[in-house]
Amino acid sequence: MLLFQSEEWIDKWCKRNHLERGEFLTISQVWELSKLWYGNRMSLEYHGRSMDQVAEVFKQAGLTAKFWYV
Amino acid sequence: MKEDIAVWQVRHFVYAHIQDTTRPPSVDETAAHFGLSTNEATELYKELHNRHALFLDVDEVAIRMANPFSGIPTDFRVHANGKTYFANCAWDMLGIPAALHCDAVIDAVFTESNEPIQLEVKDDKVTNGNLLVHFPLAFSRWYDDLVFT
Repeated sequence: MLLFQSEEWIDKWCKRNHLERGEFLTISQVWELSKLWYGNRMSLEYHGRSMDQVAEVFKQAGLTAKFWYV
Repeated sequence: MKEDIAVWQVRHFVYAHIQDTTRPPSVDETAAHFGLSTNEATELYKELHNRHALFLDVDEVAIRMANPFSGIPTDFRVHANGKTYFANCAWDMLGIPAALHCDAVIDAVFTESNEPIQLEVKDDKVTNGNLLVHFPLAFSRWYDDLVFT
């Protein structure tokens, strides 16, 4: 996942690399997602995540588009 | 299947080692910590790789990624708790303070323009909140090629 100043820079990068644009989130959205995704990563109790749990994290982060389907 | 308890204890040791030292432990370091042979520790690393709990370099049994931490230098440097960690990507640069539950100053580089940018996570807020992180692949394809992802 790469960092850009604006959508224009994303499009420039996609065009130069002959790639279709994926999805983008703001840094603020990614911070909220990070807390859900990584908040318990240092724990001995963290044993990975099932697909249902992944879907729940995306749902809690408001990521409901097809792009985020598990 | 390897003994689950051993697998997850090794995973936890890897993460604690990174938190303390900023780098992942070698197979030999992990073997020494648990009193295992190098081959036994190697098998546990491979098992964690197969479970997507960490990502090994293809050519050697070394940890390339223990998300959000990177085992190699990257454009995403995260200064937290008096240490500097490398993150795998623009998401993981925020994943490190999220995992460590701490504030952080992040030195990153914009893709395409190559301009440097500094962000800060402080008191549960991140600066430059309108910058964008691009996810090139849908979730269903993330593990096809994790380095590209």
